[in-house]
Amino acid sequence: MNTFAIELWYDEGNMCTFYTVRYVNEVDENLSETDKFFDKYANQDHIYYEQSLQLVRLITESIGNRYGATNDFFDRVENNAQALPPKPKKWVEEIKDLGINFPLRIFCYRVNEQIVVLFNGGIKDAVTAQESELSMRFQEASLFAKKIEKAFTDGIIEISNDGRYINDFNNTEEIII
Amino acid sequence: MRSKVLDKILKNTPKEVEIFVDLYADLVVKINQILKEKGITKKDLADKMDKQPSEISKWLGGDHNFTLKSLAKLSAELGEDLIMVKPSSKSYNFVDGEVRTVHTFVTYRQKKRIDHHCEIRHININQGEEVSHVS
Repeated sequence: MNTFAIELWYDEGNMCTFYTVRYVNEVDENLSETDKFFDKYANQDHIYYEQSLQLVRLITESIGNRYGATNDFFDRVENNAQALPPKPKKWVEEIKDLGINFPLRIFCYRVNEQIVVLFNGGIKDAVTAQESELSMRFQEASLFAKKIEKAFTDGIIEISNDGRYINDFNNTEEIII
Repeated sequence: MRSKVLDKILKNTPKEVEIFVDLYADLVVKINQILKEKGITKKDLADKMDKQPSEISKWLGGDHNFTLKSLAKLSAELGEDLIMVKPSSKSYNFVDGEVRTVHTFVTYRQKKRIDHHCEIRHININQGEEVSHVS
């Protein structure tokens, strides 16, 4: 996997800070993975435009501002079912609760109830797991999650004293992993 | 701090979407909380409501557009208010000397006739007068 940066995505809520990841080996203007997701679906011409707005609201207001990253809003993904060794200790999760049949899925890594790292996602379609774009996004998210977890374990990054932010040993804003 | 893409989305999100998601999230969190506090499993709830556990999972998983009827049934089974609607005030408080009127519309339909009359009643609340106008 290429080198990526962990960067702030949204921290204006009272309860939870959201980070995202961005590949750093590409051009500087490259969007983060989460911005790529919403740039694609939160487009007025897209059939899931309204659903993407709902997802944004759930993330920023319900999780970010009102409740924090509680179990109410997350679905554990059984990534062992997709044969992806080695398994991260903490599973990649999906933001949920806008419906089982809600068409969009966005993957994330929940550090604690006050910090969530958002990745990319896609449309939950009927295509088999191996073929769907969502499956590729999931595998990518699993690798992001694994590297982030290892960075925590190795002491490269740590949670701030107030529990709301990720710091690296240099205290830089953009954390390269 | 917010990303530029997010900033654009938040500025273009209609109020109705915000209200819908906020209400939905509040409901799901509240129902989960009540179940946890009262030690009720989804299976217990399904039995009480004479429904399949899978159907309850759909309700709690958000795969259900709650109707007033389904919310009332859930409220009854859980023994908790799930939604509170602030009752509208029945009394009108006007500034002294100010006159307001309330218009009521009454329709009279005559047998075997298609046309009907509409009466507009103008009620002067302050003085209790009623003036009717039939068109």
